[in-house]
Amino acid sequence: MGARSKNPSRHGRSDSYRVATIPQIRDDNKTADGMYKSRRKNPKRKTDNLDDLKQELDIDFHKITPEELYQRFQTHPENGLSHAKAKENLERDGPNSLTPPKQTPEWVKFCKNLFGGFALLLWIGAILCFIAYSIQASTSEDPNDDNLYLGIVLAAVVIVTGIFSYYQESKSSKIMESFKNMVPQIATVIREGEKLTLKAEELVLGDVVDVKFGDRIPADIRIIESRGFKVDNSSLTGESEPQSRSPEFTNENPLETKNLAFFSTNAVEGTAKGVVICCGDQTVMGRIAGLASGLDTGETPIAKEIHHFIHLITGVAVFLGVTFFVIAFILGYHWLDAVIFLIGIIVANVPEGLLATVTVCLTLTAKRMASKNCLVKNLEAVETLGSTSTICSDKTGTLTQNRMTVAHMWFDNQIIEADTTEDQSGLQYDRTSPGFKALAKIATLCNRAEFKIGQDDKPILKREVNGDASEAALLKCMELALGDVMGIRKRNKKVCEIPFNSTNKYQVSVHESDNPDDPRHLLVMKGAPERILDRCSTIFIGGKEKVLDEEMKEAFNNAYLELGGLGERVLGFCDFILPSDKFPIGFKFNCDDPNFPVDGLRFVGLMSMIDPPRAAVPDAVAKCRSAGIKVIMVTGDHPITAKAIAKSVGIISEGNETVEDIAQRLNIPVSEVNPREAKAAVIHGTELRELNSDQLDEILRYHTEIVFARTSPQQKLIIVEGCQRMGAIVAVTGDGVNDSPALKKADIGVAMGIAGSDVSKQAADMILLDDNFASIVTGVEEGRLIFDNLKKSIAYTLTSNIPEISPFLAFILCDIPLPLGTVTILCIDLGTDMVPAISLAYEAPESDIMKRQPRDPYRDNLVNRRLISMAYGQIGMIQAAAGFFVYFVIMAENGFLPLHLFGIRKMWDSKAINDLRDSYGQEWTYRDRKTLEFTCHTAFFVSIVIVQWADLIVCKTRRNSIIHQGMRNWALNFGLVFETALAAFLSYTPGMDKGLRMFPLKFVWWLPALPFMFAIFIYDETRRFYLRRNPGGWLEQETYY
Amino acid sequence: MVSKDSKMVTPEMANPYLKPPSVSTSQSLKNFFYNRETGAVLGRTASSWGKIGLFYLIFYGVLAALVAICFWGFFQTLDPRIPRWQLERSIIGTNPGLGFRPQPPLDNVESTLIWYRGTDSENFKFWVNSLESFLKDYITPGSVPGLGANINKCDYNQPPPPGKVCDVDVKNWYPCTKENKYNYHKSAPCIFLKLNKIYGWKPEFYNDTNTLPQAMPIDLKEHITGLKNTHQLNTIWISCEGENPADQENIGPIEYIPRRGFPGYFYPFENSEGYLSPLVAVHFVRPRTGILINVECRAWARNIKHNRNDKMGVVHFELMID
Repeated sequence: MGARSKNPSRHGRSDSYRVATIPQIRDDNKTADGMYKSRRKNPKRKTDNLDDLKQELDIDFHKITPEELYQRFQTHPENGLSHAKAKENLERDGPNSLTPPKQTPEWVKFCKNLFGGFALLLWIGAILCFIAYSIQASTSEDPNDDNLYLGIVLAAVVIVTGIFSYYQESKSSKIMESFKNMVPQIATVIREGEKLTLKAEELVLGDVVDVKFGDRIPADIRIIESRGFKVDNSSLTGESEPQSRSPEFTNENPLETKNLAFFSTNAVEGTAKGVVICCGDQTVMGRIAGLASGLDTGETPIAKEIHHFIHLITGVAVFLGVTFFVIAFILGYHWLDAVIFLIGIIVANVPEGLLATVTVCLTLTAKRMASKNCLVKNLEAVETLGSTSTICSDKTGTLTQNRMTVAHMWFDNQIIEADTTEDQSGLQYDRTSPGFKALAKIATLCNRAEFKIGQDDKPILKREVNGDASEAALLKCMELALGDVMGIRKRNKKVCEIPFNSTNKYQVSVHESDNPDDPRHLLVMKGAPERILDRCSTIFIGGKEKVLDEEMKEAFNNAYLELGGLGERVLGFCDFILPSDKFPIGFKFNCDDPNFPVDGLRFVGLMSMIDPPRAAVPDAVAKCRSAGIKVIMVTGDHPITAKAIAKSVGIISEGNETVEDIAQRLNIPVSEVNPREAKAAVIHGTELRELNSDQLDEILRYHTEIVFARTSPQQKLIIVEGCQRMGAIVAVTGDGVNDSPALKKADIGVAMGIAGSDVSKQAADMILLDDNFASIVTGVEEGRLIFDNLKKSIAYTLTSNIPEISPFLAFILCDIPLPLGTVTILCIDLGTDMVPAISLAYEAPESDIMKRQPRDPYRDNLVNRRLISMAYGQIGMIQAAAGFFVYFVIMAENGFLPLHLFGIRKMWDSKAINDLRDSYGQEWTYRDRKTLEFTCHTAFFVSIVIVQWADLIVCKTRRNSIIHQGMRNWALNFGLVFETALAAFLSYTPGMDKGLRMFPLKFVWWLPALPFMFAIFIYDETRRFYLRRNPGGWLEQETYY
Repeated sequence: MVSKDSKMVTPEMANPYLKPPSVSTSQSLKNFFYNRETGAVLGRTASSWGKIGLFYLIFYGVLAALVAICFWGFFQTLDPRIPRWQLERSIIGTNPGLGFRPQPPLDNVESTLIWYRGTDSENFKFWVNSLESFLKDYITPGSVPGLGANINKCDYNQPPPPGKVCDVDVKNWYPCTKENKYNYHKSAPCIFLKLNKIYGWKPEFYNDTNTLPQAMPIDLKEHITGLKNTHQLNTIWISCEGENPADQENIGPIEYIPRRGFPGYFYPFENSEGYLSPLVAVHFVRPRTGILINVECRAWARNIKHNRNDKMGVVHFELMID
C-alpha cells in the first residue's frame, strides 16, 4: 500500500467519480446543510436511497434459525442450491459484484475545461476576431491580418490552458477500481450436492460456500459450520484483531454477531461453511462503497473562491464590454470598429494567465507538502486544510502509535509507570525488586508472542511480532526490561500450556526451572484480573508471600479500577511453584484435562496496556488549538480509552470536564448538570443514534472538546455533516474502509499512507505518508500560506488590468491613437506577469499564521472588494498614469504633442491618409504613423513591466514593511530579472517588429515610468505604515485585502 | 448548579463562522441598491461613501499632481519648433510619402476616391471647395502668421536665406485655378500633389542624367534629359501613371503645372514660420469618363525609395468622372 501511495497519478478525485453514481444508490441531491441542489432532478427518490444507506445495517439473517434461513433461500446446508434456482437468482439479482460508477465521458471532461472559467469569454473574443477578419477580408482586397492572428492566438491560449487543466484533472484515480481489486475471484460453492469452483461474481443468494484461511470472503455469509474460524474485519470496522466466527448468534448488531462474515474481509484462520445472504451492492462493503461514491463532495473552498473571482472578473468584462460597445455606437463608430473595441476590452479584462498561475502555485505547494509527508491527490485540496476549522480525527494509528504498549504495572502494592514513548526516553523503574522479577517471569513465560525473524537491527518497539497485540506488548516490555526473552524461554522449557479461551479467560503454562538444582516446575498464569484473583489464595508483596485478605483485595480493586479508568487494558498475573514431590521432572502434564492445580495460586501483580499517543500529537493538537481549529476525536474504541487518549493528547484539555465529570464531582445525577457548563463531551455511539440533527448541532456548538466513541461509519458521516451544517470546513482523518464515506463527505479527507486501506486512500484528498497527525499541522500551515500568497499573486496580476484596459477606453473616448495593443496585452498577461506572479507562491509568511483563526469561508474571500479597490482603484491607476505618460512622451518627442493627439484617431488609422501633419509640421505616412504607434505600444508595455517591479515588491507583504520582510525570496528576485529580460528581448530582438509588432525602444524611453514606480512603492509603504500604526482603522477596513 | 471555573460557552465562541442567512437574489440586489436597515446605498452608507470619496479624491488629486509635474518637467525639455528626434533618429525616418488634394470627406476617411459628375456643379462643389480651402494659405499668404514677413521669391539659383520661406505661386497655374474651378467642370480635373514634410530632410537629386533609375517612366526620363538649365536638375520629380494597364489606357494625357516636380530650393524643411510646401498640380487632360481610374504618383529623388504597400514615395488615388 505504501508503495502505491507514492505514485500520485493513481490518486486524486476524478470528476467522473463525483458525478457518477451507482444506479440504485444515488446522491441525495442535497448539500451538507440539507438544501436542495438546484440542477438535479428527482430529489425525492434519491433522498430515500441515500438516507437508506445512512441507516444502520438492519438485517435479521443472523437472528433467525438455520432452518428458517434455508427455508428463506430455498437452500440446503449439505446440497446447496439447485442449478435452476441459482440461475434464477442470478438473473434476478445480477452478478455478485460492485456496480462500477458511470464514467463521465473523457470528451465531456475535456470540453468542461475548454469552455469553463474565462475560456468562454476568450472564445467569444476569438470568434469576434474571426468575424471581424472575415468581414474585412470580404470587403477589402488588402485585409488587415491582425484580427486573424489575434483570433488564432486567443484560441491557442484557451486550448493550451484547457489542455493544461484537463491534464491536471485526469491525473486522478477511480475509487471503484480499488473495490474491484478487492472482489475475490474464485469461490467454492456447493450446488446440488456437488462442490464447484465458481467465479465469485456468479454467486447468488442462498449459495452454500466453503471458506478457508487465506480466502477473501466472497459475499456476506451466515456461518453454519466452523472450525477455529477467524476473520480480519479491519478493512470494515478498523479493528485490527482477528475475530472468531462461529454459527452462534451472539449479538443483535450484525457487525458484531459471530455468525456473520462479510464480503471482502479476510479469513485468517480455520475453515467455515456458510450461506450467502447478501450479494454485490447489497453487502455491507457494497453499501459503504455506495455510500462513499454516492456522496457529492461539493466544491473545495478554493474552487468556490476561484469561481467567485471568475464571476467577478467576467462580470466586469461583460459590463465594460457591453457599455463601450454601446458607447461606440452612440459615438458613431462603425459596428466593426465597435466589435474590435469589444475584443480589446475582453482581452484586456481577462487575466489570461491567472488560472494557470493559480494551478502552478498550488502545484508548487503540493510538492512542498509532499516533501513534508503530506501527499495531496487533489490540487485544490492544498488550500482546504488551510481553511479547515474542524478536524475529525480517527484515534488508532493517527493519534496513537497503533501499537499496544505496557503502560503501567502494579506489584508490591504500588503502581509503576512504564515508559511508552517511541524513543524510550521516559522514566525508568526499579527492576531489581523481587516483585518485579516474579511479574517479569510470568509475563515472559506465559506468552506465545514471538518476534518475527530478521529484525535485530530495529528498535525493539518497532519490531513486528507474531501474536496477539497484548502479548506483543508484554513481549516488547520484557525484551526491554530483561533482554533476550527467547533465551529465557528456552532455559525455562515449557512443558504444558492451556491457551486463552473465552470461557476460562486465562492462559496458563507450566515450565521447568532454569535453575538446574531446582527440580520444581513453575506454573504461570495470566488473564482477566478478577478471574486471576479468584484463583489465588496468597499475594506476593515485598518479596514475601502473604495471605490474600480483604485488605489486599481492596488494594487490588483500587489498582484495577485506577488502571481501568485510564482506559487501559489490564491483565492479572499469578504463579505457583509446583511441589516437586507431586510433579517431578518428566511428569506428564495434561493440557486438555488439567492434572495440576489451577486454584490457590500466588497473585503477583497487574500489567496494563494501552495504544499510547504519538509523541508529536499533543504538540500538534495544541498548535491546532492556537490556530483556532477544533479537534474532534471520532473512534470506534471504548469511551474510556478514547477519553484517556483524548486527555493525554490534549483533545480534552486539562481542567475541562465532561457532563459526567461534573456530575461525579458535585455528586449529583448526570441529568441535573447543565450541559452548557461542560466544555468537553464524550458521546457514545448508541447515544448518538438517539440524537436528531438539532441535538447533534447543539452538542457540536456548545462543546469545544468532543470525543465520539463507538461510532459506526454512518455515524462518522453524520458527524461530518453536522459540522458542515455549522459552517465549518471539516477535515477527516481515517484509515479503514469504514472511514471512506466520511473521508469523501469531508471538505478534505486525509487518509493514512502506511496503515490506510486502499479504499480510504482513494476516497481521500490527501494522504499522510507517515500516518502522523502532526503532519496535518504542516498541511494547515502550508494551506494558509498559499491562500495568503494567492491573494498576493492575484492582487499583483489584477493590477496590470487597469493599464491594459484604460488605453482602450482612452482610444474610444478621446480619439487618440491606440496606446496599447491586444498582442502586447497578451505579452504581459502570458509573458512578463507569469513568473513574478508564480514566484509570490514562494513568499514567506508575514507573521505566525498558526496563531490566528481559520479564515471565514463566507466572508473572507480570496478576492474581495478591498483587493479590487487596491489593485484597480489605486495601484492600477498609478500604473495606467505611467503608461500614458510614456505614451505621450514618445508621441511628443517624435512630433505629436499631447493636445494634437485628441481627436486624431480616425485620420491616424486611415490608410488613405498618407500625409498626416504633426505638431512640428512634419507629415507622416500611414506606415510611419503605425511604426510610431507600435513603438508606443512597446513602450507602454515596458512601462507596465517597470511599474510591475514596484507592484511585485509591494505585493510581497500585506501589512509588514518590505524592510521587515526582506528580499530573500529568490524566486521573486528571479521573477524581477526575468520580466525585465523578457521585456528587453521582446523589444530588441530583430524580427519582433514583424511578428509581434514590437519595436526597439531608445534607452531614455524606459525612464519616464520610473517616477510612477517609486510612487507606487512609496504610496504602499506609507499605506502599510499607517495600517500597522492604526490596526483596525478606516484604512485597514478599506484597503487591507 | 453553576460551577466556579467553567465559563459559559457562547455559540459565537464555539462557532465564529455561521453561514450568512440565505436571501434570494432579487432581495440581495435590492439590499445592495438600498438597504433599509443601514440606509446604505450600493453597499455603503452616506458617511462611508463620503470617506471613500474623499480618500479617492485626495488619492487621484495627488496622482494628477504627479502626472502634471512629470509633464511639466518633460515639456521643459521640448523645443516648440524643433522636434526632439529628427530624420533617422525619429520614427518618421528619411523616406517621405506623398499627399494629394482634394481628399475625400472626413466621414469617408478610408477612401481615396475622387468621384464627381462634371456636368453638375453642385456635385463637384465639395471638391472645389476642399481645394479652395487647401490653397487659401498659398493664395492669401497673410492669413498665415509670419508668412507675410518671411516670404521670398525663390528660384534654383536663388535659395531662401535662413529662416525665410519660399513662395508658391498657385494663382497663375491655369487651368488649375480657383477661377477656373480647377477645371472640374470640364471633366479634366486638377489634383494637387505635395511631398511629405520631414524636418531637416534634404533630397538627393538625380542630377546626373546618365544614372536615372530603370524604373523611372520613360516620359520622365525624356523630360529630365531634355532640360537645358542644369540647375533645374535639383528637382524632386513627379510621375503619375495608371496603376494597371487598363488604367494606363484610360488615364489619358497628363499635364504637370507649374513644372514636373518640387524644386530643390524648398528643402530642407526646418519648420520656419509660414513654410509652404511646394505643390504640383496634376492636370488630367482627357481622362476617360464613367470608369474608375487607379492613379499612382511617385516622387523621384535618389533618397526616396518606393513601396506601393507602405506608400513610401508613392501616393495612390482613384479618379472617377461620370
